[in-house]
Amino acid sequence: MREQTWPALATSQSHALASNWTLFLIVGSCVAVLVWGLIVFALVRYRRSATSGAPPQFSNNYPLEIAWTAIPLVLVCALFIHTYTVESRVDAVVARPDVIVHVNAYRWGWRFVYTGGPTVGGAASSPIGGNPVSAKPELVLPFGETTRIELSSDDVTHSFWVPDFLFKRDAIPGQTSGFDLQPTRTGTFLGRCAQFCGLNHALMQFTVRVVPPAEFLRWRKEIALR
Amino acid sequence: MTGETAPTGTTTAARSDLLSWMTTTDHKRIGILYLVTSLVYFAVAGALSIVIRTQLARPNAHIVGPHEYAQLFTLHGTAMIFLFIAPFALGLANFLIPLQIGAPDMAFPRLNATSYWLFFFGGLVVFAGAGTNEGAAAAGWTSYAPLSEIKVSTGLGQDMWIVGVFLVSVATILTAINFITTVFIYRAPGMTMWRIPIFTWEMVATSLLVFLAFPSLAADLLLLFVDRHFGGHAFDPAHGGSAVLWQHLFWFFGHPEVYVLILPYFGVVSEILPVFSRKPIFGYTGLVLSAFAIAGLSMGVWAHHMFTTGSVNNPFFSFVSFLIAVPTGVKFFNWIATMWRGSISFETPMLFTIGFLMNFLLGGVTGVMIASPPIDYQAHDSYFIVAHFHYVIGGGSLFAIFAALFFWWPKFFGVKLDEVLGRWCFWLLFIGFNVTFLPMHWMGIVGMPRRVFTYADAGALPILNLIATAGSYLMVVGVVAFVVNVIVSARRHEPVGDDPWGANSLEWATSSPPPEHNFTRLPPIRSERPVYDMRRAKGDG
Repeated sequence: MREQTWPALATSQSHALASNWTLFLIVGSCVAVLVWGLIVFALVRYRRSATSGAPPQFSNNYPLEIAWTAIPLVLVCALFIHTYTVESRVDAVVARPDVIVHVNAYRWGWRFVYTGGPTVGGAASSPIGGNPVSAKPELVLPFGETTRIELSSDDVTHSFWVPDFLFKRDAIPGQTSGFDLQPTRTGTFLGRCAQFCGLNHALMQFTVRVVPPAEFLRWRKEIALR
Repeated sequence: MTGETAPTGTTTAARSDLLSWMTTTDHKRIGILYLVTSLVYFAVAGALSIVIRTQLARPNAHIVGPHEYAQLFTLHGTAMIFLFIAPFALGLANFLIPLQIGAPDMAFPRLNATSYWLFFFGGLVVFAGAGTNEGAAAAGWTSYAPLSEIKVSTGLGQDMWIVGVFLVSVATILTAINFITTVFIYRAPGMTMWRIPIFTWEMVATSLLVFLAFPSLAADLLLLFVDRHFGGHAFDPAHGGSAVLWQHLFWFFGHPEVYVLILPYFGVVSEILPVFSRKPIFGYTGLVLSAFAIAGLSMGVWAHHMFTTGSVNNPFFSFVSFLIAVPTGVKFFNWIATMWRGSISFETPMLFTIGFLMNFLLGGVTGVMIASPPIDYQAHDSYFIVAHFHYVIGGGSLFAIFAALFFWWPKFFGVKLDEVLGRWCFWLLFIGFNVTFLPMHWMGIVGMPRRVFTYADAGALPILNLIATAGSYLMVVGVVAFVVNVIVSARRHEPVGDDPWGANSLEWATSSPPPEHNFTRLPPIRSERPVYDMRRAKGDG
């Protein structure tokens, strides 16, 4: 499994998500550097010294105040349009997914029910005492194909999070939430519960193994035979 | 804080003094009770966070177990939010509002004392849960149902949390009524609404938010209590309830609450910057309007805490959240313009105010980021969020709290705090804070969820966590420097005059500390800077 130093961007959705991160990081850094710069400039330039006299007592400047209200307003509207576009792409679901998996979260484990079989997964930790189990529950996904995840919970609110996909969705008891994943990288990625769900929340992990479609079919058959 | 000396000996004197503090209805004494109590809770909540950071310093550590860890972060969050940051602002406002508007006391002094004692006992009830069989509440300060339902959280500690927080929320609503009434009808002649200090304005906006938001929390808590003990099913989907309902009611309170935690401190900063820049506040009208714009918008953003539920209208809540950046930006530009062409000096209150500006800016920028659902899909419930809200509430509110302590200490107790120790306190806290919380952004992006008691020994997490823990220890030294400062300056006891800083608002026109009736005589009030006008009239402005 990958070492966690930076997310791998392993789905087509995660590339759209990453572009939004990048835009906000750039705009945010520019705003931060500008405002920090103004503060530091003011502190250095206008510090009190032996020669500084009584400062001018001005207290407003309406054109300036209108400008620094209007410009940020335009900026956040532009950011919103971008964010809306990206979210629409990420939340979009295809009419006919290649694979459908019902993911059940429970205290403390994951059940992965593939439509048309098989059902895999299991406990992520021993129920009491907080020891991780030797093998984490594993979700297997075919590379390049679209998998629909139908998410639900048996008990309290959990959250299905794969940091390398830059994505999470809450598993809420009493309702089902669907979303699509299209893996664009093979390999094994760490998944985990993100919503605090009690004692062993920290250990409620799983792995996502992305394999080529042919191998995925082989895996499905093997499991069915077992 | 010295009481009257009784002729019968010190024991009786101390006892009567304690009794007089317990029965006081004087807004200044109630204010100080709030400040001291909330600072005690700060120390306790801070100590809990040090245990948390020690547990997380290394991967797979065993300093505390998962159940103890859950209680630690639940009590840490509950105490910091309900028992420190908000009540400190209430204490400050209790002390300052009547003085700033030239009134002899609050509108309802006995209601005021009632509020304080409800808050005091509410906090004790929450913490007393730690003494029950299954320990204190352990469902987080957000106490999400169904996790907090009796089927899962069986302990009495959870009930005590509900009752304690309920008492605190009632206390806060009563105080808001008191503040608004006081400001609207108790202003001195000449103190028009457009002349009241910005701090008082921010408290009016805060009080309105308390009115609108806290009843939702109280209702949420009552529903949970009914679910737990009287067979209700409000949050139980198996019986027609809804798990998402808790989140809606909680965040309908919870997001305005964030502004209850920051608006008062916008006020503090707006009071301090003009004094140490030797200029009037820039954009008074803009600052007032932006406070109400923030308050109004904050009522329509609650579901940005629920972007990942898949059951709210993400674009709507995202857009309204973005909009809050505009009035917040207005405040920043006004503060910078206040310093612009001023004559800036760097006493400790000003240092902490500058620290506030620097830290809060980063919290504001990450706030806009996570208001974007595609970013929140990764950041939500991760250490990125932990970093964000600590930059807002820790880097923002906490630094403004220290600014307020150093600035108004002479008015509270008649003595100044030591400047050299004050500078140590500032730099230790400023560096410690950033070393602790800056790495947490990265932890969140690479996948560390919040509220985990341990993490794997892989990738970037071990080193980032170790750095964060080192920073938190540095902050402890900074807090110790403050405690030493309090003791040193109390021992030295050099009295200060009415107005040691050359300040602007009315509290500086009376003695330090003020007499029980506040003012023997008021200066004429012809602008929002009556004390500045008074100095000029005397020829030393």
